[in-house]
Amino acid sequence: MAEPVGSLLRRSLDHVEHEAPASYRHLLDTLGPLVIGIDVDGERFALRGGARLEVIDGRVGGMVDGVIDAVAGTHVALSRAAILAVLDAELGLAEAVETGRIAVRGRLDDVVRTHDTLIAYAHAAVRAPSVPALMAQLRGGSGGAP
Amino acid sequence: MSATTSTTRSPAVPAVLPSHDFLRTPLLATARPEGFKEWHHFLVQTRGRRILINFSLMSETLGAGPPRLVPRIIVVVHDGRWTGAVERFADADVSADLCTLSVGGSRMHIDPDGFRVVLDLPDRHIHGELLFTPGRRPSLGRVNNQPVGAGRISWLFVPRLTATGRLRIDGVEHRLDGDAAYHDHNWGRFRWGDDFGWEWGSILPADPADPWSVVFTRKTDRRRLRCLSQALYVWHHDELAAMFRDSAVRMESSGLLGRPPDCTLPAPMRLVLGSEASDVPAALTITASSAVGTLEVVFRPDSHARLAQPSELHPARSVVLSEISGTARVRGSIGDRGFDAPGTGVVEVLHG
Repeated sequence: MAEPVGSLLRRSLDHVEHEAPASYRHLLDTLGPLVIGIDVDGERFALRGGARLEVIDGRVGGMVDGVIDAVAGTHVALSRAAILAVLDAELGLAEAVETGRIAVRGRLDDVVRTHDTLIAYAHAAVRAPSVPALMAQLRGGSGGAP
Repeated sequence: MSATTSTTRSPAVPAVLPSHDFLRTPLLATARPEGFKEWHHFLVQTRGRRILINFSLMSETLGAGPPRLVPRIIVVVHDGRWTGAVERFADADVSADLCTLSVGGSRMHIDPDGFRVVLDLPDRHIHGELLFTPGRRPSLGRVNNQPVGAGRISWLFVPRLTATGRLRIDGVEHRLDGDAAYHDHNWGRFRWGDDFGWEWGSILPADPADPWSVVFTRKTDRRRLRCLSQALYVWHHDELAAMFRDSAVRMESSGLLGRPPDCTLPAPMRLVLGSEASDVPAALTITASSAVGTLEVVFRPDSHARLAQPSELHPARSVVLSEISGTARVRGSIGDRGFDAPGTGVVEVLHG
């Protein structure tokens, strides 16, 4: 069974934190207080900041100890195949959004911040040599069309 | 230290390659790797086809760890359009005579007869064996200790070789049989993203029997607004026929190619660089004049690939090396020898 994308994202952030700490801090600053809800082929998780970056499994906004845990400012829905197509440069990010292969919902300011966070993550990931190995895990669970 | 330019002429037996083009990393960077970079670069350029092969060792610092030297191999081919791969490795081995660099199953070996390159990158489906042979008495161009931001770089080049062998990439077999080629070797201590940019190019004649070849270079600040140094070298067979420097050279870009890059390497860097924007010019004209002669090179790009390197100074910037293929026309006279010939070229532009 393929490793969940949320788990891969969590592991990649651990690598970035240790191997490219300046880029990790830049990513943390860029995300700021925003919580990004992500749906990859029905797998739901969220990315949030604070003292450090955290990947939360499941739908955000749930009740934890009687309080709302987090509320996503933006919601991003895409497939594992679409992620790979963008990372392999077969599909441009703008084209992916325009054609609906990546769906983004949220206030404009939050959508812009989500975009900036993605770019900051890409800058960080290319500086962490352990991250590319996770691509094989990501590919392992890809079967559909982008 | 100041930048110096010279040429090295070989004796009758061309041991000039191993005695000058050997790997510097063990001597200069093993004890102090911080900021050090070294690469051997090979470029095959015949009409309609370009093959770029690069073996490098570059210092890298992860988190709070000590700097270490990381080997990489880049293979990029233009045959209709650019395609290729960048492969990073954990370790490399340099032979005791400093003339063989082994990286995974690949290696680059320098011997008196030329450069032997073996490529074995199974994850990228790239395999090949190539021999780059200089002329009978090769001469090397050298530029020592040029400033690049706060650092320095040295550059050694063989303007013209012949390439034989084969290279398989993307399921296509490229066979080389005396194809025209260029080689250079760079080493120094500097940081990607510092305040520097460069342009250099190799122009080789379309007709292999034509004895002329041209190499040019320009160093600038990062924004490419200030020229720090420039030079144009003209070779006739294996002999440096003319060298024009600084005020004797004028380089002008005009127009825009208006074509996005065929590929970006590593591919995920397309995400941060975007897919369309390009400042590759429609034409690059270089004129040079001195008491030795006059020359005009007009290079017309037709396509390009992007190689991206994360900035070492800023966590969210990148350095882009555009590898541009195109056609060229070289006209002029050196001494009492005039020429006017079409050629092929590859120009590299570094910015960011």
